[in-house]
Amino acid sequence: MENKLLGLFIVFAPLSLLSFGGGQAIVADIQYQTVSVHGYLTNAQFADLFAVSRAAPGPSTLIAALIGYQVAGFWGAIVACLGIYVPSSLLVYGIASWWQKHKTSPLKIAVERGLAPVAVGLIFAGALAVVRAALANEPNNIIVALELVTLAICCSIFYFSKIGSYTVVFATAGIFFLIHLLAF
Amino acid sequence: MAQEAEERPIDRPDGARGSAFDVLMSFLKIGGSAFGGSTQAMVFREVVDRRQWMNEEQFIVGQAIAQVLPGANPVNLALYMGLKVAGGLGAAAAVFGMVIPAFCIIMAMGFAYQEFSSLPVTSFVLHGVAAAGVGATVSQGLKTTRKLPKRASTFIVGAAVFITIGLLRWPMIPVVLVAVPLSILWAYVEERRAA
Repeated sequence: MENKLLGLFIVFAPLSLLSFGGGQAIVADIQYQTVSVHGYLTNAQFADLFAVSRAAPGPSTLIAALIGYQVAGFWGAIVACLGIYVPSSLLVYGIASWWQKHKTSPLKIAVERGLAPVAVGLIFAGALAVVRAALANEPNNIIVALELVTLAICCSIFYFSKIGSYTVVFATAGIFFLIHLLAF
Repeated sequence: MAQEAEERPIDRPDGARGSAFDVLMSFLKIGGSAFGGSTQAMVFREVVDRRQWMNEEQFIVGQAIAQVLPGANPVNLALYMGLKVAGGLGAAAAVFGMVIPAFCIIMAMGFAYQEFSSLPVTSFVLHGVAAAGVGATVSQGLKTTRKLPKRASTFIVGAAVFITIGLLRWPMIPVVLVAVPLSILWAYVEERRAA
């Protein structure tokens, strides 16, 4: 049991510092380490856990919690989470506090000005990626139209009002649930 | 404590400061509702639009730093925002708030998966939620774009990143590794010229 907990930490802690761009970057390596190297899971189990992690809220790296639970129960989930979040968080904490305290300089202004348009490009690219993934295998044009209308309405709500995102998310979920009950 | 934050002036130049408790409450709500990969837009919604702890420019700097460093973007972003609003305790509160609800939900879903994954209504509802999340993301992109300096460099870099990663689907990491230094260099040259 203790060996498994230690093993989980050793699998996830280095990946934490390699997860550039979030969980997508390390999913393949998590699969390799937990299935092929350590034999904690079968490929089919991994695929199931991956699907759950995509459907759940929060960061996609929470797949670590599911794997940890599968391998060593509740404490496995906790240890895997600590492994995946603590190293990168310490790094971000160090850099962010240095950045926020550091006096304004021409170089710092240039870094902030230079990073901003890259981040904005990534925001729109991310939006497109989610739309593409959601509509990829959707044969029904009515559902495609429904989703695009939902996107436009929600975007307008977020742009023009101050309603919280959680309210909009749960209202949308409720409306889609009703539509499904009534129409399908 | 919530009262205190509500009374802060709206557009303080260096960003209003809140309490770690307010940060925890905000991020617990985000952590429990940010389905479908649009977490950053939900954080923007809470931190900039609703709480007004900082403006669009300050937020996008934090978002860029959170994206460039390793680690889950939502966790990094929460940490940066919590730190800026309420110091070290705020950073811990934000990360805790972001991870705990999602941790509980994903564990519950892990147990329930076999039962619910086969129901068509599950994927239908998740599609709707994803569409709402994209709406939040596009809204954030528009609001931030409006506030960026109106320079050729801003639009060329933003468009280049969107086209290569979004439309052409080039891998993100190499594009970012090339775009970030070039963009910073360009901004530096522009600042020097303006000064």
